[in-house]
Formats: sequence, structure tokens, C-alpha cells
Amino acid sequence: MRCFLFSIGCLLLMRCASDYKGLQATAPDDACAARIVPARVNTSWYNADVDVVGRHISGLLLVKHMPDSSYRVVFTNEAGVTFFDFGFLTNGDFKVYNAIHQLNKKAVIQTLRKDFELVLGLPFRQGVYQRWTEGEEVFFGVRQKKETAYFITSKDCASLRRLEWGAPRKRKVTVQLPGSPYPSPDMLELKHHTFNMQIKLARITKE
Amino acid sequence: MRERKTTIFFNLLGLLMGIALLSSHPAKAQYTGFKPVADLAAFKKQFATESAKVSTITSNFTQVKTLTALTETITSTGKFWFQRSNRVRIDYQKPFHYLIVMNGDKMLVKNDQKENRINVKSNKLFQQVNRIMIDCVQGTILDSKDFTTKVFENEKGYLLEMTPTSKTLKEFFQTIVLQVEKKDYTARSIEMNEPSGDKTVISFTDKTLNTTLADALFSL
Repeated sequence: MRCFLFSIGCLLLMRCASDYKGLQATAPDDACAARIVPARVNTSWYNADVDVVGRHISGLLLVKHMPDSSYRVVFTNEAGVTFFDFGFLTNGDFKVYNAIHQLNKKAVIQTLRKDFELVLGLPFRQGVYQRWTEGEEVFFGVRQKKETAYFITSKDCASLRRLEWGAPRKRKVTVQLPGSPYPSPDMLELKHHTFNMQIKLARITKE
Repeated sequence: MRERKTTIFFNLLGLLMGIALLSSHPAKAQYTGFKPVADLAAFKKQFATESAKVSTITSNFTQVKTLTALTETITSTGKFWFQRSNRVRIDYQKPFHYLIVMNGDKMLVKNDQKENRINVKSNKLFQQVNRIMIDCVQGTILDSKDFTTKVFENEKGYLLEMTPTSKTLKEFFQTIVLQVEKKDYTARSIEMNEPSGDKTVISFTDKTLNTTLADALFSL
């Protein structure tokens, strides 16, 4: 029983621990940041697999980089029916051009908006970052309201490891990049840490 | 679950329209070279009669999705099989893999990541799909309450312009335009026009009718 209580106590303590407590603030490294910052995504079609609380949706996702540097993100099913069409404008505004009513709910739209803002690297466009190190990784962060957007590199700045949305103590979303790097990532794996949702994108090579 | 079913529903809809190879092909008011069918009753009768003669279909297809405002298109290709009266297999092969198999009340949906088996009877949406499919296959889509249909013709084919009547379908489609060959009443193409102006055109080529198809094609 004592062992059980001890285990529960440890688990509770672990839950209370900050995901970012190991970060050590360091001096800016503008050269590294400028070289590796994921602040642009080239126009591409992706195979998309979305898992949300045990449900699965698949389809095709277009990321379109517009001439004015805004983005359109369009999700259709394999047979071509559009599920949503979002615009990320250069002034920071967000526009829903189209969304089927099943998805057109504030919480859903806001979640997808933040997810794609991170994937598109929009928080990193301003070019001013705080910098921290933890082990073999370097965190470049941009604070936005109550959360911070991070892009995380290897210590030697040779590679981009992942992107994150983080609250002060809690990692909320990570985007892993198992394939080629920005601006044409061929694989993106987005995972929410506060509820069960994952988005996997695999770039399609058009014939 | 609802989203997944919706996805499947619209994939199926594309399929059924393919199945409707046996059915009609719609013509917009501005369909160049087409004129309204003079004797609609005769067409409906003939359509049903000719459809009944088709027991199986094998076809290649090319699907082109056009995002009009973004001047973007994506083209996919694959293979389509139909066996009367309720077996369908649609296999997207390039540039992605996606498979749907319908066999009676059962359905399989599969991509590189997941495989789902669904009982059509468990959901009203699927029952609606089933009904539309049967209407297409039996050549009775012109009597369907899900669409109002205008029929046009030219020398080589018929064009059915189908306008959804239900709120569910209207959200996704402004019209569905089905083109049917006059020679055998099989589908030449289906064009799904969305309210946003985007459209998807599926064209069927290399069609083979009434050959023996292996049961394995439709196994779930």
C-alpha cells in the first residue's frame, strides 16, 4: 500500500513538473536562427491522416504559398470533396473560406488554426527569438500571448529537430520532421499532448 | 466517427456515380453541343432497360480535382469494378493509395495507415448512399428524390445535370453532372461541382462490360 501511494505521489509530482524546467537561457544566435528557421513552406500537396480521440479521417491537404506570402490550406477527401479551406493572411489574420458544418465549430477551427500556424512557421516570421539550451538541443522561442512557439535544433545547428507549442509548464503540440527539411518538408507528424489528436502529412509527388 | 462516415459517404458518392456508368450524364444549361432530351419518359425507360443489361464493369479512371480560386489541380488515377447488384471496388493507385470496397451491407475503406470495416445498415447516411447507388445501377436515378435532374443529349451521349435536393448534399454539391455513352449507357465522366466553384471530374476509360470478376475483388 505504501509503495502504491509512493508511486501515485511520484506520478503526481511528475505531472506537476514543467516540461521546460531544464531549459537554460542563453545568448541569441542569429546566424543559426536565420539559417534554419522554418518560416516558409513551399506549395505542396500532402496525404493527410488525422486521428482524433479514436476517430480517423484521411484525405489530401494542399498548402499553397500565395504570391503575397499568405497561405491557403485546403483539406479534401480522396474523392475530391472539400472539407475546409483556410487562409492565413500576411497581417496575421485568419480567414475561413470554407468549412463543412461538421468541422465549422469554434474549438475545432481554433485548434486547426494553431496547428497550421505552427506547421507553416508563422510565429517565426518576425525574426526575433529567445534562445535556450537543454542537453543536445537548442530551443528558439517566440512568445505569443500565453504560449510560446519553439523551433528546436541540434546543438550544432545542423538540423531542425521539431516544432512545438508550449504553455509555461506544459508541452502542448509537437511537430516532428522525420523527412526532408523546410521549406519543402516531405513528412510532418503533429501530435497534441493535452488530448488525443495526431495529424500525419506525407508530401505527394505529382505526376 | 461522424467525420469518417462523412468522408466515406462522399468517396462513395463518387463511386456510385461511377457505377452509374449505368446511369446518366447531366448537362448544364450551357453545355455546348447538347440539347434537352425531347422524350424524357422514353429516355428513362431506355436507361433502365440498358442498365439492366450490365452485370459487371471494369474500368480505369482519372480524377482531376480543381481548386478554381487557387489555380491548383491534383490528378489521381486508379481502377474501378462493379458487379451487379451491390458490389463495388474503387482503387486509387496514383499518386496515393486508397481503396473502397462495398459488398452488400458491408464496406471496407483502406489507405496506407488504416483499414476500416463498416456495416452500412448502422447509419442513415450510408443507407442514403445505398439508395442512390441502387437508383444509379438500376437506371432509376431520374426518379430519385435526392436530386432533380435535367437530361440533355448530343450525337454520342446523354448528359444528366443532377441538382441535390437534400440539405446534406447541397452543402457539398451545387450540381453533379454525369455523362453517359449513348452506345451502351455507361458513364463517360462525372463532374462534381461544389458551391465554392471547385470541381472534381472523374473520367472513365478502357471500360469492359459483362466479364467475369473474381469474388476476391469484393472480399472484405
